Amino acid sequence: MNNTHVLIAGEGGQGVQTIAEILARAAFLEGKHSTYIPNFGVEQRGGVSIAFAQISDKEIVFPKFDKADIMIILCHRAIKRAERYFGKKTLYIYDSTLLKHKGIGIKATTLAKSLSPKVFNMIILGFLSTKLPIKKQSVIRGMEEVLGKKFRKNPQIRELNLKALDIGSKL
Amino acid sequence: MKKEFLMGSKIAVKAALSAGAEAFFGYPITPTTEILEFWAREAENNKKLLFLQTEDEMAAGFATIGAVLSGKKSFTATAGPGNVLIQDAFGMAEAMRIPTVAIIGQRGGPSTGTVIYSQQEVTLTCFGGHGEGHRIVYSPSSLDELYQLVIKAFNSAWQYRFPAFILTDGYLLKMKDEVLLKKPENLIASSPILPKKGFVNLRNCYSFEEELYEVLEKNEKDYQKITPKVKDFEIFGSKNPKILVFSHGIIASSVKAAISSLPKSMKVALFRPITLRPFSQKEALKVASISKKILFVESSLGQFARIVKDNLFGLKIDYDFLYKPALGITPEEIYQKIKKSYYET
Amino acid sequence: MRPNFPQCYKIDSKPSKFCPGCSQTLILKNLGFVIDELKIASKVVYGCDIGCMLLSWDFFDLNTVQTHHGRTGPTMVGLKYAAPERIVIAYMGDGGAYAIGAQHLVASSMRNDPITMIICNNTVYAMTGGQEAPTTLCNEITTSTIRGRVCNGSRPLLGPELVRSLNKKAYVARGTTLNISQMKNFIKRAILHQKKGNFSFLEILSGCPINWKTDARETREFLKEIEKTFPTGEIP
Repeated sequence: MNNTHVLIAGEGGQGVQTIAEILARAAFLEGKHSTYIPNFGVEQRGGVSIAFAQISDKEIVFPKFDKADIMIILCHRAIKRAERYFGKKTLYIYDSTLLKHKGIGIKATTLAKSLSPKVFNMIILGFLSTKLPIKKQSVIRGMEEVLGKKFRKNPQIRELNLKALDIGSKL
Repeated sequence: MKKEFLMGSKIAVKAALSAGAEAFFGYPITPTTEILEFWAREAENNKKLLFLQTEDEMAAGFATIGAVLSGKKSFTATAGPGNVLIQDAFGMAEAMRIPTVAIIGQRGGPSTGTVIYSQQEVTLTCFGGHGEGHRIVYSPSSLDELYQLVIKAFNSAWQYRFPAFILTDGYLLKMKDEVLLKKPENLIASSPILPKKGFVNLRNCYSFEEELYEVLEKNEKDYQKITPKVKDFEIFGSKNPKILVFSHGIIASSVKAAISSLPKSMKVALFRPITLRPFSQKEALKVASISKKILFVESSLGQFARIVKDNLFGLKIDYDFLYKPALGITPEEIYQKIKKSYYET
Repeated sequence: MRPNFPQCYKIDSKPSKFCPGCSQTLILKNLGFVIDELKIASKVVYGCDIGCMLLSWDFFDLNTVQTHHGRTGPTMVGLKYAAPERIVIAYMGDGGAYAIGAQHLVASSMRNDPITMIICNNTVYAMTGGQEAPTTLCNEITTSTIRGRVCNGSRPLLGPELVRSLNKKAYVARGTTLNISQMKNFIKRAILHQKKGNFSFLEILSGCPINWKTDARETREFLKEIEKTFPTGEIP
């Protein structure tokens, strides 16, 4: 299997970094090689947030890449920042509630309304993980690792996130 | 011992703890702030650890010196404009042979540039403080190496009494990846430089030129003596290279990946200094002298190349370069550049 | 017969390199006596800045470290937190403490760092030939204030008052080399205050006949005169 380059772009606060980290951890937990690195400007809040994740059977040497194999776009503003990573073979997944783009549109924000608007990123993650060589169980374990603290404070959040992940994976 | 999935800054802190570090002084600055925060958390739970967020990087550097003088293994971490300020302190450490350890997370420069990444603090870290570069500077190319070299920095500093630096960058520090944290095999002990019994009078300002000259001569002699024990490098690729790539840090890893993808018929090798100071001059000359061309690849406009060229002085050879100041360089870009340069030779 | 020197004096470095008539020798000698009396020589780390006090790097048979300009404070801070059993003294001039090192003074006051700062205030940058300092008097002529210092809505920096405004627990005082017994008492109290775990700050008005271009009598007169700007005494 080749190195899969995943780029996730959205507004700061949409959970871009969370998705990317969960992905990378999921791959690691399965014994694959993975890296995750955030990319952001100086603003503490707001601003475009971009995350790079890679999954591979071989050791990964450089945390960034030229072109994304899979590109997740969660807001219109992010398109400009993410453009340079668009490749000929890139698969685009975007939130069709929030923007128009080519590729696979998912009404994540709309679907999340039945659970909680904050978990819309998990719906995206659920769908994204079906396009990647990682098991759903690993993604759940990854989520527990990344969001464990929040879950312990408020167990309801775990249920919401798991449901969102499930919805996404069945799309 | 298992592999863990950790962020570079956390790995750096774990390495410092493994090395026996007991004190950290620092000022928040991206991308090294997490090192300060992780250490602060450790110090909360372990009363033997000392943590102080200082009022600026100068105070951080001098407080580190103070703690080192008392005999505690101490370190600091900074980047960019903070690195500029902290050279005030490191100049003093260099002059007085004080074993400070510093983690530098290179970011875009000059000035406040970006908070993200570069390889533009090579000159500043290797030769800052209007000194003669009597420092030990390690450049890790992976998270595993970051862990090992932080431990080595403490050992080298305390054994040879020169300030030691880990010259890393915002990518390595912010990146999460797998790492194997091995317990170090041997550690060099620290000791109070201002003795508990008796006293010493330490200074760095002299009345006459000759006095300072003598001190510098001694430091240079010591530096030459320890060079064979401290210098480190790696050669990767063809044993008979037509093109020899010089690169360091995370970009050298990118170069390795590029070289691995080349057809076997292409004779390309990478010379990767692991210590930028002292530099493995003999070994570099040996490989360079059998190559047809040298290619520098770095995220700077030649700061690293300048050090290499200085060490290769006298060698008649063609140079080529891929300079991307403050920008990451992917294996694909390097691959294309090597191919182009190869067929132009 | 041994002159009246402190036990912790390094005899070999006397006579010292300070200018004839410089009051700093009085400050340092009395610091030495206090260290003798408190029997703390083996615990003391004496840090000095690079103004004229650079010349005191080998003044004492005590652990000494001469630092960069303005950075004596932070060096002593790091050392004290790492080795709390030591008694650390940062001896600086008005430039090191109030100009290039001002932020360290503020920070140590804010943190109540258990160090003792002793500041030699002679209203000028003496080592470099007498330029304007934060403590130069308004209209005072120096080599960089040729027509006299311009105080634009301000007045010479009052260090002890500044420290007190930031920290209630610190020992804060201003002495003068015109009153040796008071000065020596202040030094002792400052150091004892460090032993209690608090910040101590002592400014001492000091004569600089060479840069003031004054003779012995004029030096004493000027020292008396500046007490109107820099009041002596402990600040409660």
